[in-house]
Order: sequence, then structure tokens, then C-alpha cells
Amino acid sequence: MSDGPLIVQSDKTLLLDIDHPLSVECRRAIAPFAELERAPEHMHTYRLTNLGLWNARAAGHDAEMVIDTLIKYSRYAVPHALLVDVAEQMSRYGRLRLEADPVHGLILVTTDTAVLEEVIRAKKIAPLLGIRIDNETIAVHPSQRGAIKQSLLRLGWPAEDFAGYVDGQAHPIELKQDGWKIREYQEHAAEGFWHGGSGVVVLPCGAGKTIVGAAAMAHAKATTLILVTNTIAARQWRDELLKRTTLNEDEIGEYSGSKKEIRPVTIATYQVMTKKKNGVYSHLDLFDSHDWGLIIYDEVHLLPAPIFRFTADIQSRRRLGLTATLVREDGMEGEVFSLIGPKRFDVPWKEIEAQGYIAPAECIEVRVNLTEAERLAYATAEPEERYRYCATTRTKRDVVQELVSLHANEQILVIGQYLDQLDDLGETLGVPVIQGSTPQKVREELFHAFRTGEITCLVVSKVANFSIDLPEATIAIQVSGAFGSRQEEAQRLGRILRPKADGRGARFYSVVSRDTIDQDFAQNRQRFLAEQGYSYTIIDADDVFQGKI
Amino acid sequence: MEIRSYADYLRSLDDQALIALFESRSDLTAPVPSDIASLAVRASSIPSLVRAVDSLNKWQLQVLEAASLLAEPFTEKELLSHTDKSAKFVISALVDRILIYADKDGFRLPSNLREVLGNEVAALGPASAKKLKLKDLENAPAASKKVLDAMVWGPPRGAVSDVKKPNPGLAWLLDQGFVSPVNQQTVVLHREVAIHLRGNKIHKELLIQQPELEGRKVDAKSLKDASISNVTTFLRWTEEVLNFWAQQPASALKAGGLGIRDLREMTLHLGVSEDCASFIIEVAYISGLVTIDPDDRILPTHQFDIWLAQPASVKWETLISSWLITSRMSGLAAAPMGPELDRSNAALLRRTILTILESSENISPSANSLIAATQWRLPYRRTGGIAPEQIQWVIREAEWLGITGQGALSPYGRLLMHGEELASIDKDLPATVDHILIQGDNTAIAPGPLEHEMAQELDLIADIESRGTATVFRFAESSLRRGLDHGRTGDEILAFLKKASKTPVPQALEYLIGDIAKKHGKLRVGNASSFIRCEDTSLITQILKDKKVEALGLRRIAPEVMICTHDAQDAMNVLRAAGYLPAGEDSQGILLSGPRIMRAQTKARPPRIIGEFEKLEQSQLEKVVRTIRTGEKSSAKQSTLRDISHEALGSLPRTTANETLDLLTNHLRENPTKSLSIGYADNNGLVSHRIIDPLKISAGSLMARDHATGEVLTFRIPRITGVAAL
Repeated sequence: MSDGPLIVQSDKTLLLDIDHPLSVECRRAIAPFAELERAPEHMHTYRLTNLGLWNARAAGHDAEMVIDTLIKYSRYAVPHALLVDVAEQMSRYGRLRLEADPVHGLILVTTDTAVLEEVIRAKKIAPLLGIRIDNETIAVHPSQRGAIKQSLLRLGWPAEDFAGYVDGQAHPIELKQDGWKIREYQEHAAEGFWHGGSGVVVLPCGAGKTIVGAAAMAHAKATTLILVTNTIAARQWRDELLKRTTLNEDEIGEYSGSKKEIRPVTIATYQVMTKKKNGVYSHLDLFDSHDWGLIIYDEVHLLPAPIFRFTADIQSRRRLGLTATLVREDGMEGEVFSLIGPKRFDVPWKEIEAQGYIAPAECIEVRVNLTEAERLAYATAEPEERYRYCATTRTKRDVVQELVSLHANEQILVIGQYLDQLDDLGETLGVPVIQGSTPQKVREELFHAFRTGEITCLVVSKVANFSIDLPEATIAIQVSGAFGSRQEEAQRLGRILRPKADGRGARFYSVVSRDTIDQDFAQNRQRFLAEQGYSYTIIDADDVFQGKI
Repeated sequence: MEIRSYADYLRSLDDQALIALFESRSDLTAPVPSDIASLAVRASSIPSLVRAVDSLNKWQLQVLEAASLLAEPFTEKELLSHTDKSAKFVISALVDRILIYADKDGFRLPSNLREVLGNEVAALGPASAKKLKLKDLENAPAASKKVLDAMVWGPPRGAVSDVKKPNPGLAWLLDQGFVSPVNQQTVVLHREVAIHLRGNKIHKELLIQQPELEGRKVDAKSLKDASISNVTTFLRWTEEVLNFWAQQPASALKAGGLGIRDLREMTLHLGVSEDCASFIIEVAYISGLVTIDPDDRILPTHQFDIWLAQPASVKWETLISSWLITSRMSGLAAAPMGPELDRSNAALLRRTILTILESSENISPSANSLIAATQWRLPYRRTGGIAPEQIQWVIREAEWLGITGQGALSPYGRLLMHGEELASIDKDLPATVDHILIQGDNTAIAPGPLEHEMAQELDLIADIESRGTATVFRFAESSLRRGLDHGRTGDEILAFLKKASKTPVPQALEYLIGDIAKKHGKLRVGNASSFIRCEDTSLITQILKDKKVEALGLRRIAPEVMICTHDAQDAMNVLRAAGYLPAGEDSQGILLSGPRIMRAQTKARPPRIIGEFEKLEQSQLEKVVRTIRTGEKSSAKQSTLRDISHEALGSLPRTTANETLDLLTNHLRENPTKSLSIGYADNNGLVSHRIIDPLKISAGSLMARDHATGEVLTFRIPRITGVAAL
């Protein structure tokens, strides 16, 4: 029995002991086929999934390599059944191939006739197929490339896609590395994506996903469509691209509620893409308006359903998804996998923090006690009003006020869900509030003032959850959120993770009402970050008032 | 007298030969036969012969089949010429089992053996009634040769469109008598012809050797690793199944066994296939670790507690030894722990497969070659060979249990086969760990097999998220509450975790435990049948102290409220008798006045009406009369017959069972058309005389036509008190 860093469990989870001298080597060895599930302090959990194993096959690894790696690093004997299963699952990949055919367009080819017979009899598959060419080959309607991949994956016979990508209209794009250098992991991520053809890159907030996008564009050297969450994010992407690449202002267009420019590089918002006019998505034509060589989906965990549907139809174009958390509260991770592509790059947050590319952060949960009157009101509140009630309790206001005064000389964001609570806080603290109704222009002015240090504190609603680049913000105070959303918590922490000029750490306060569902939701919200190795310290509101933090 | 000569042969055997016989046919000793005559009857009975034939391997069976086709008595030389020289070595094995025995003229077979071997042995048809000129076969027309070629290796029957209008090739064969018609559409090739054409052999292929095992070599280390991993996994599975049911017992089906829903739940819990879960449950069941209690709940037994405390080697041996001898096959499609899982050959099959595996060290044979070897060893003529899936079940079960690792016999399996100590398992198991690592995401990891007590404690306060050699536990509100429900306090849990964990307990977990402990038990729930409330607390105190109402079992749960274990009506009666003035209250708190009007709680069931009989119509009455008349006639006929036999016979001679059997066999062979008179005992032991036409003897029963009723009846031979010819 070796003394390896890895424990292979019979339920296909792999536990990696990160205090073990071989852990780094082992992590590299298992990364191609195992999905990182959790990365807390001592033992990281990876999982062998069918998707992950097929993904490894796609990247050219075979079952033997996977099995050898498991046996090599395993601390205990590896369950034989698991090895058999790995070999079996991996052998399922590649028995069906999608290929381009000069005569029939797109064809489905097999090395195993029985499998082909099985899948063409499946109800979901049959309508996607054309004529049978011979025993091993059948034509596929070219428009159904995405749909057939989705359906085959569900049947457990994933097709290897050799049909290739269209190059799109060429457009020169280069990275302009003057005064900055692309980081190693960003380059790995961009290359991982490029070799895989399409896929998702997962990087922590503040770790420079935009640059990965820019590097991918420099690989593609083609016209690019970038889909982002909102207008602010669109402008940030534009600024960043101007700064980091050889693109100039005339080459970058914005396609949003206010502007409808289509240029070689076009940045569109999800909002405008999914706007319906007379019951039809009139703006989805944008996908077809140009011979795009690359499509980038920012914050892919928020991708709305209509975009998914459309993405299924553009499988011949390269697709890059970017996100910090591939956790979808709606459980649509599988759709992301089959339509955008498999995860091409993932790295624990703490590892990037250790490299100094994101600011170290401290997470603190501040528990406030409800007053007797509040408790009674909470107990009798209607179930659907309960969370709102305990999340917006008045006691929180005093704590926030105290926290803000404790960090008087730092850049503070107060983040919440409920507008009247935010207005109230804005008034109490005497600071501006940014919410959905704040005009775009005012928002930009306020963010600008915040960046320059003119104002040190902002109260923001969920509009600032993502993609807002506020490099010098060091303190975030969360007063309420979208129930138990894990990704929201991670995104909000992300607002303060940009490395600070003076190397200072960031602090994330979450103010929670004790003994209410607020506390239960908080626990759920913290789960993703806890799994990434952020541990929460719990303090009492009284400690805040006594300055014990 | 065949039985006589068989018995005479047995009498001539020395002790050693008898012991050899009993060793190879152990069914003959249970119960021990009273004398040689009854041994001869038993040894030549069909059930015993079936067992004996089943214990032969394929080659031995082929030789026996060849022998059964020879005319008795036959010589060794004749037998060898129809098989192979090496059959010589097999004959002794057959003689040991007395499937072949020698008298002064040569070898003979027990009379029933041919019946056991069945019709068309080695795909040969019946012998011809008349002597055939086999030499003429050489001059057969081409068309006939083609027919012969098609039929020579069997099946001996061929379908034709119409026997009356045969094609020329067949017509010649029919003319010569080589082929005979069976019915309008079937013809059969005679045995002599086929044997002649087969070159005086019986079998196309003589399977003298057990087929070679083909497979890959497994190196000793990975074999050991794989088997220890299988052993530990199986022990863990067993423990988990039983712990699961200890918490929430499954209920057994009416027909016995575990229902499919409970099985699915277990499958999900263990994360294994349904087959595997069934097997784990079966093994626990046959080892006595789990049982179905009188209330049809499936619960672990006390045996389980004993089992838990034992070292792994003993635990494993307990499971394996019950698996080896059980006749239950969990692969069969029936509920685990239920009926209908028994197959008499199950244990023999397992032994055989393990013996085959044992013979090839560190080889993981391919399933097909192992099946071929097993089928050679256990040809099981009756059922056309052991079903390959049964063999595959044994293969996969042996792997689950860790008797094999990666398909090859594990070192522990080898020790087991030799009946040696298994203590080496304990040494080879990964060392247990005595600590856990608690992490910030409220999980705890035991980086190896956890010590039993610690594992149990953690099981109580945390949910298991991942199982294997290591275990991942997750602390959640529900799991911690479970710990508190089992009587742990928050402080105890925390102290335990602090002691058990190598890493500091995260503050968030400490808070979580504290929060839940604080809330736990704030609400109290109990049973009460009625309550008594009164705004006057002194009256409550008075009632509590009143000896006259003690029987009510009152308990004060608040200053103004008492609860009572009796229902409201009883409580009121007792209170009234003690001189208090209680009034009833309904569920809304409204005062009830007046006596309650009572109603029965059960459904009305008026009594049955007993009255006059229904009058029958004329036509029905006529039918009744006709029935009675017919019955009368038939019984008169019967009694006449009985009188005749009485006169003819007087009292019947009494014969023993063996003699009866002998007489019947001879009678059947020599004058099958004549009637017999027998005495036959009914269920109550009353002996009646019957006149019968015997038809056939099989499985200890005589099939015969009873003259009295004209029906074919089955008479059990032990119940026949005597036989005489008419």
C-alpha cells in the first residue's frame, strides 16, 4: 500500500490531501479527467463524472492513463469496480463521430454498428437524422448539430465532434502587452480553450477573465460577438479591450438598449438579446448578421434560456464561456456543457490568491439579535414575507452604520436586495444609492467617482452583483440577498477581490438576523465560498459596537 | 431378476468398495439403509441415479452414455472401441458409483439408468426392430446419402412433408429400413445406422479434458490490493445495510422477502446496482445478521452486534461460509430474503467454480472459458447443462465478496479453500485512523477506515456524503438534531469533535452546534388522552393530591392544566364519583351539555336469515333423480367387482416394499397386459382391494388403470400392501 495523497472512494469521489508533498503533482495529473468539487482547507474533493471522463477522452487521454494515475497516487487499494466503470465509460466516447462530408454535409459515423442502431431508434434522435448512407454512416441535418449532440449525450453515447468550426471573417487582433503581461494561468486558460475548440473557463472574480477573453480573441483573429450581462459591463469590456489589444474604438461596437452598433467586435447585452417584440426575439438575428469567428459568453452561469436555444443552432462557431462559479441555481449546468462546451479550465480560488492575483479576503458573518417586538412580528409574518422581514430588520441599520464608521477611510460597498432598505440605508449613511432605476449616466458617474476616491461609500442593489470593476473597494457589507443564492454571494465577494495597490486584504461582512431563516439562507449562501476555502468568522453585533473586530 | 443381480453385486463388494460408493453418492447414507436389498433399491432408484449422474464430468458422462447404448452384458473392449482408449480410466469411477456393475457375463447398467439418461442419448434414435444390412449403406444412392449426412449427427428425427410421398432419397432409406416413419410428418434414423456411419463411435467430439482456462495474468500485488479492497467494501456494505435498517426497518412483503421499493431505496443508499444490493442483503440474511420479525419488519439481529465486534477476518469468514453452503441464488429474479430462491445445485456450483479458479494461480479467466470449464465439470444432462448466467452470478458474487480480485482467486479465497486461518486479512487491511479533519465547509473527512466507535458517533451527528476507504461526513442541522435526539448535548458533541479532529473546529460549525442545541427540545411533545383545565389553580392542586382520582394518572403541565392518560368520558366519571363537578369541552373549547348520545364505531352487520329451503323446479328435480340413479348403478358395479375379487383372492398375500417393486417390475416386463390385484392403503391406513392394469413405474409410484373407476391412477408403492396376479 503506497502512501499517496489521493483517496479514491467507491462512489467516484477523489479526496486529495493537499498537505501531502505530492499533492501538487497529483492535482495536475488528475485535473484532466476529474472535476474539482470543493476546495476547503485540508482535503479537496474531486469527482469522476461521465462528462469529465469523456472530456478527458476528447483531450486525448485514454482510460489506461486515467487508471494508472489513480493507482499511482492512491493511498489505498482502488476499488476494482470503479476502474472497470472508468474504462467502460471512457470507451463510450468516440464510438460515434460527427464529421463533415463533402456530399452529405454533416454525417454521424460509428465504429460500432450496434451503437448506431441503438441511437437511431431513440425517439429524440430519429427526427434529427437524414438518410442512411451505409451500415456505419447516417446523414444529420446540419442545423441539428447542437440538438443531436445534446440528445446523444443524454443517451450516454456522446458524439465526438470532428465537423470542425468555421473560421468566421478574419480580423486582426493581437494582445498589446505594454506595461503589463498576461498571467500564466490566463494563458493556460486561453490555450486550454483554444485546443478544446469550445468550452468554459472558470476563474475567480477579479482574476482577469476579460483578459482570457482577449487572449482567446487573439488566438481566433476573427470577428467576435461578446455577450455580457448589462451595459456597464459592456463598457468595461470595451475599455479593457482597448487597453489590452490592438483593437481601436472604431472596431468595437455596442449593441444594447441605447446603441445598436454592429462592428467586427460587437458587445451585446443579454437583456437586449432576449427582448421580445410582438412575441418574437427580434434581436437574436444578431447571431446571423455577421460571420462571427468567436462568440464569448460572459458570466455564463446567468445565460438565459432563449440564448441557450439559439446557441444550439450555432455549433459550428467557436464558443467561450466565462464565469467565476459554474453553479447554476436552476441546475442547468448540463446545458452549459453540451451547448457551450465542457469546462476547459478551473483553478481553486485560494491558489490564485496565493499567487497574489486576487486580494486575500476575510469573510465575517455579523449576527444581530432581533428585538422582542421584531421577533413577534417575524413569528406572525406571512411565510412569503418572512425573509424580507428578517433581512430588512431595523437593527441591521445600526450595525451597518457602525461598520461603515469603523472603516471610515476605506472604500465601502453596501449591497442589498430590497430597495426600501437600500434607500433607508442611503439616507442614514448619507451616501448615494445605485439601483435598477438609476439612469445609466448617473451610474457611470457614481462608479467613476467611487473609483477615483471622490466618494468612499456606495449603497448598491443587485445591479452591481457582477461585472462591475471597482478595483479599490476593500469592504463589502451585505445586508440582504436573493434568498440562498450561492453564486450571488460569490459574485458579491468578487467585487472586492481585485488586488489592491497597497496589497491590502479585503473584508466581506454579511449581516444576518439571528434565529431566523435569514441565518439558514446565509448558511446556504456561504457554501460555495466555504468550499473554495473561505472560512467565515461569526461575530456578534455587540462585538461590532464595542469595536472588537 | 435384475434387482436381485444388482443386489447380489452389492453383496459381493468389500467394505472399501462400499465406502467408496457412499463417498461418491452420499445420498445413499441418509437415512442409512437397513440391508443390502434396500440399498440396492435405493441405489437404483431414479432420484439417486439422477444425483449420481449429475456428479459426473462431461467425459465420464460420455462414457456412460456410450455404455448405455451397448447391449448388456458388454465388455470393456466394446466400450473402449465406441469411445476412446482413455475411457479405461473413467470406467473405474463409474464402477465406484455403481453406475456400471459387473456380473459373471460382463458389465451391466442399473435398470433405471437408461430412463435417467433419457431418450435419444447422444442424438441417436431407437434401435431397429429387425436386423439391418448395414453394408448396403455403401451402395446408397446419392440422394439418400445426402439425407443420411444431414441426420447422422442428430437430431435423429427429421421432418418431411408427407411420409406417404417421400422423395427418392428417403424412399430408398425407408425401403431398406434404415429410417422408419414416426408419424405422418416425421421420420427417425435408426441407432445402428447412425453408429455405423459415425465410424462405430457414439460422440462426434470426445471431451476428454477439461477445457483450458484462458485469461489474463494478474500480478500478485494488484490481486492482493483488489481483493482486500473487495473484502473491505463488502464488509462496509453489509454494515451499512444493517445500520440503515436499524434506523428505519423495511417491511417484508406478504409473500416474504424485501419489496422492490425498499430494495431501490437501499440501492440508492449504497450507490450500487440492484443486483449487488440484493446480494448483500441475501448474504446478511443467510448469515443470520438480519431477520424478519413477527411484525414483518426487517431488522438486524443480536448476531449483528456480535458480528460487528469481531475482527474483519472473522466477519468475512462468517459471510463467506454461509454463502458457500447456501442453496439460495440471489441472482434469480425473486425478492431477496423471500421464497423461491433455492436451487439444489447452488453450493456444488460454487465449490466447483472455486476449485477451477484455484487450479490456475493468478489467472483471471475470461467468463466464457470459465463457463466452458464449469459446464465440463458439471454437464447436468437433465437440464441441458448449467445455465451460463448462473455461472456468471457466482463469478460476480465471488468478486463482490473478495474471494476473487480482478477475477482471479484471491489469497484469502485460497486460504478459505484449504480451510486455513484467515487472520492475514486483518494484517492486510489498511490501518484504522483515529482522527478526522474538520473543514470550513462543515465537512469532516476521515482519511482512512475509522475506528468503530468513532465512526458510530459520527454517524449519529453527521450525514455521510462519500463512502469508501475514507469517509466524508457533513454536519447539517438535521444531522446534528439527530445527535441531540439521541441524547447528546451540544457541549458533548463539540467536545467530541474537538478531541477527534486533528484540525481546529471551525467557528461556523461551533456556532451551528450551539444554535441547534439551544433550540432543541424547546418544544415538548407527549401523549395524552384528555386534559383537565381549571382557572382555579388551588382546585387543580387539590385534585392532584386527591387519592380517589389517583387512577387517572394525572400530570400537571401548566398551573391551570393537567393531562390524563384516560379518555375524557372516563376522567369525568372518576371525577364525578370523587365528588367534583366536571363538564365536557369540545375541540373548539365550547362547553358540552347533556349526556353524549353514543353510537357504535363498527359497521352494521345484521344477522343472516335462516328460513325455508328454496323449492326446486320440476326439471331440476328430474336432474337430481338422474344423478342419484347413475351413482347407484356405478357403485353397484363396483361392489360386484369387489365381490368377484374377494372370491377370487380371499385375503391378499403381504409383500414388502422391495418385493412389491420387484414383482411389479417383472410383471410389467413379462405380461404387461394382465391385470393385478393389489391391496392399497388410503390416507387413513384402511386397506382396500383394487384390481388394476399396471402401466408404468416411476419415481416410487405405480401408474395403473383401476378397474373400479376405469381411470388411470397413481399408486404410491410404499402404500401397496401386497400384490398378486389374477
